[in-house]
Amino acid sequence: MDWVFLSELAINGALTGLLYSLFAIGLVLVYKASSVPNLAQGGLTMVGAYVVLALARDLGMPLWLAIPLAAVVMFGLGFGIERVALRRLAGRPVVMILMLTLGLDIFLRGTTLAISGGTSRSMELGVSYEPLLLGDIFISRIHLVGAGVALALFVAFIVFFRTRTGIKLRAIADDYMASWSVGISVERGVGLSWALASVVAVAAGVIWGEIQGVDQALSLLLLKGLTVAVLGGLDSILGAIVAGIILGVIENVGAEFLDPLVGGGSRELIVAAVLILTVMIRPHGLFGRHDIERV
Amino acid sequence: MQEKAQGQSILSMNSIEVLYDNVMLAIKGVSVQVPKGGMVALLGSNGAGKSTTLKAISGLLKAERGHISRGEIKFDGTDITEMLAQKRVEMGICHVIEGRRVFEHLTPDENLTAAAPMGMSRSELSVQKDKIYDYFPRLAERRNSQAGYLSGGEQQMLAIGRALVTQPSLLMLDEPSLGLAPFLVAEIFGILQKINREEGLSVLLVEQNALAALEIVSEGYLIENGRVVMHGTAEALKSNSDIQEFYLGGGEGTNFHNVKHYSRRKRWLS
Ligand SMILES: Nc1ncnc2c1ncn2[C@@H]1O[C@H](COP(=O)(O)OP(=O)(O)O)[C@@H](O)[C@H]1O
Ligand SMILES: [Mg+2]
Repeated sequence: MDWVFLSELAINGALTGLLYSLFAIGLVLVYKASSVPNLAQGGLTMVGAYVVLALARDLGMPLWLAIPLAAVVMFGLGFGIERVALRRLAGRPVVMILMLTLGLDIFLRGTTLAISGGTSRSMELGVSYEPLLLGDIFISRIHLVGAGVALALFVAFIVFFRTRTGIKLRAIADDYMASWSVGISVERGVGLSWALASVVAVAAGVIWGEIQGVDQALSLLLLKGLTVAVLGGLDSILGAIVAGIILGVIENVGAEFLDPLVGGGSRELIVAAVLILTVMIRPHGLFGRHDIERV
Repeated sequence: MQEKAQGQSILSMNSIEVLYDNVMLAIKGVSVQVPKGGMVALLGSNGAGKSTTLKAISGLLKAERGHISRGEIKFDGTDITEMLAQKRVEMGICHVIEGRRVFEHLTPDENLTAAAPMGMSRSELSVQKDKIYDYFPRLAERRNSQAGYLSGGEQQMLAIGRALVTQPSLLMLDEPSLGLAPFLVAEIFGILQKINREEGLSVLLVEQNALAALEIVSEGYLIENGRVVMHGTAEALKSNSDIQEFYLGGGEGTNFHNVKHYSRRKRWLS
């Protein structure tokens, strides 16, 4: 066994995994407030990338301005989604909200297709494609940057959930009725969680857009992001980080050994196996909340 | 004259009717007055309409697809019948809902923080918390554990403390004694009485445990089948023969007791 090669696979897998985490954090934010996996997170990520491109390419802004401005726009869009669509569904079965997010995803994909067409555009962040050499190990710079962004967001949200607003959001996640009873605006809280998820979508959209180009395929990140979120426990930010690393490593290392045996395509099989096994064996994921037995 | 009478009630609920799902008439013209600084009990058996009455006052009906189809509610002279629940909390009405629904995954300290109005300063919040921990020393001890693992009594104290952070002038409690040992009920009711005396907090207390409730309130209403069937001072209610028999009597209601209860109750309904 070549340990250097194995470490390279593991480290690059972990970095890719953190990019899945970056996506999954958005899913967790919405799940915490609405108890529904947001199937539109892929669509939002794609729109986030398109908005950055629109500001940077079409309006000629520098990226350092276009990205934060896109975050502001998406923050507003997140609030808007709650106001226009979700609020009407309050009190309806969760499956209806789930279907709404699916519809939203289709809508967002259709809209970008209509406006920007289907040809892939490049993000051009200016990060060098020259790999970084760490000892004997080659590491992709953009993956390293993305992993850093994921960890920075992780820390930011851990801090945020200790502020008064963050605590109110966690209260909403616990009990809508009790929240209303002490004057917490559940509607605004749900809106805020969508707004934050939309900002996370910009970060994921920029990084993933740089890696694979900006087109409708960005929305397909949902599948891996959802797998990571489920493995992490759906409502745990820490879970999303740890699960991302785990999935990334298993996928990268596993595919290296399995691909020669099955003749390629084993990455998808590994992701599918992780999702199915998690749901079957550990439905609350690694760090998911169990409902506390009443004493 | 009339204005003066209005000024003495912090809450004045007149002939309120509530419909759930546009069809189910849950209360049928309930009128309740709570004097400023007073303690009032709403008594009655299961399904009578007590919780619905509180939800009509706090605005939480909307969350259960209920609405007020007739009557009006005035709080401190202002018509609040159509007001949003959140606005009512800001005005000073807080409803401790049935079943001590604390935020289970938060600590007691975070439960208190969650209820703090956004405009309340940090220092003011910590003053409020200290006051609440003084009233409920048991909570102070466990302020950083997970609220879901507190005992039933502690959770009820936390639910009350959490309501107090909103700085209400009217506190409404829905069956706070349910499932608690008598010594805990006595402790919690004692604290409520103390807060009422020291801070002039008006209290509207819903209870099936009439014996305990009538010890601390000055007046009470008996609700049956969506209507007020009796209203009087605590002394008058305690000495009323029907109340004695059905709510204060035999203590642990035996089956026999319940049978009698139902046959006699018809008298009020006719
Ligand atoms: N959310 C609801 N939807 C429909 N009917 C309800 C709802 N809540 C209560 N009811 C009905 O309204 C009546 C009064 O209930 P409630 O106010 O909870 O009584 P209490 O608190 O005195 O036990 C009951 O007949 C009950 O079944
Ligand atoms: Mg009730």
